[in-house]
Amino acid sequence: MTTLPDPRPRAKAGADGVFRITGWLCTSCGHRLLVHPPRCSRCLSPALEVSEFGPTGTLWSSTVVRIAVPGRTPPYALAYVDLDDGPRILAEIIGVAERVSIGTRVALSSQSDIGDLRVEMLL
Amino acid sequence: MRVAIKGVGTTSFGKQPETHPSELIWRATAEALADAGVDRVDSVFVGTVFGAPGVAQRALHAMGICGVPIITVENACASGTTALHEAIVAVDSGRYENVLAVGIEKMTDSFSGAIHPEPTDAEGRAGLALPSLYAMAASRYQALYGLTDAELAMVAVKNHGHATQNPRAHHRTPHTVEEVLASRMIADPLTLLQCCPIADGAAAAVVGRPGSGAHVAVRGSALRSGAPWDHNSAHVWGFDLIAATAADAYAMASVGPGDLDVIECHDAFTIGEIVTTEALGLARLGEGAGLLHSGHTRLGGPQVVNPSGGLLSRGHPLGATGLAQLAEIVWQLRGQAGGRQTAAPRWGAVETMGGGVSGLDGNACVVVLLEKVGR
Repeated sequence: MTTLPDPRPRAKAGADGVFRITGWLCTSCGHRLLVHPPRCSRCLSPALEVSEFGPTGTLWSSTVVRIAVPGRTPPYALAYVDLDDGPRILAEIIGVAERVSIGTRVALSSQSDIGDLRVEMLL
Repeated sequence: MRVAIKGVGTTSFGKQPETHPSELIWRATAEALADAGVDRVDSVFVGTVFGAPGVAQRALHAMGICGVPIITVENACASGTTALHEAIVAVDSGRYENVLAVGIEKMTDSFSGAIHPEPTDAEGRAGLALPSLYAMAASRYQALYGLTDAELAMVAVKNHGHATQNPRAHHRTPHTVEEVLASRMIADPLTLLQCCPIADGAAAAVVGRPGSGAHVAVRGSALRSGAPWDHNSAHVWGFDLIAATAADAYAMASVGPGDLDVIECHDAFTIGEIVTTEALGLARLGEGAGLLHSGHTRLGGPQVVNPSGGLLSRGHPLGATGLAQLAEIVWQLRGQAGGRQTAAPRWGAVETMGGGVSGLDGNACVVVLLEKVGR
């Protein structure tokens, strides 16, 4: 698709096999970030350390994209998910063809082979 | 502030792939200069997003606008309004006497469908095309406040209805709620007729000092970028930025939302108008649909929103949009709006919202408040 550096958050499976997001925690104010800027966007402290977020969270909103977007085959369901311990992420919801209700509990399940974060609904 | 809009001009809007961008700029600029009765300007601010390097200089030098500073700004959908804001500030500060603001976008040179997500942006790279950002806001809003799909469609019905009286609009066909809902789904719950069309066009304004006669005065102009939009944000995308920018403009003009008679706001998608009318203070949070049911914002109502047909019908050539919105308000305040004229308006407002950066409550929002002075 493109040779640009991938700007998306990274998820990786830990020793327990559970996917978590690698992000940064401001040790000064506790703000949680998905990128690693030179200082915290909230308190301006440079004291940011690597941290892991997830895997569970609550669905903030969702939609199903039904138009062609380069590199993707519609339709696909996307959601904003507020992770329990951190940032709001954008992720593909796997196994659904319609919108999912806000407040639904979800968990990170993987990162797709084209780099998209994926979540699945928890029963 | 002692600033007036001395003249406005626009092209027609729509797909015009055979027309050179310079031709679009010439038409809008010539109309604005003639309307202002001005031959020369002291500087130019240009709004464009996808315009080629030098897009304005290429056009303007050929009509004798050269030697003066020409400054091009990009603020997503609010690029044209940002150029306008900078022109207003430049006149108000005494830096220049007459300033030209021009917005230009030749969308058909870059896109055949929706704007491609930006690959350097985390959410763009994840396939969040712009309609889906608004769709997320619509889904959230529907769940919180019980807004129905039919109420969303009422925004499109109102604005498409207004556009039947706007000969320069891209889409001038009226539609029913049923037709809007039956059009192709783009990103749930937004259907095709709830999304602004890709259009080409340009718009321009001459900003200067008010004369002694009747004129359209600028009473307030505010520009902000958004705050972080994340898990700490209470509202849907864009609401807080629009509300904060509007508060700045209202304070400058010493007016409130109840004083406005006619408004052009950012209805790139139907949910955008509902959220924006609430952020501007025309309705309380969660009650924006009431404005549609009562006809409050429809032509004939007391506070008409998007009499031009809005972005939904005029089309959305990104850089041109803000100045096209301004032209509509100026025509309305002067009583020159033809079949879509609102009843003797005194106060008008322009609001444009630009977005696309992940984790940010909007790249830019501009709110400009205008008052008719004299006759």
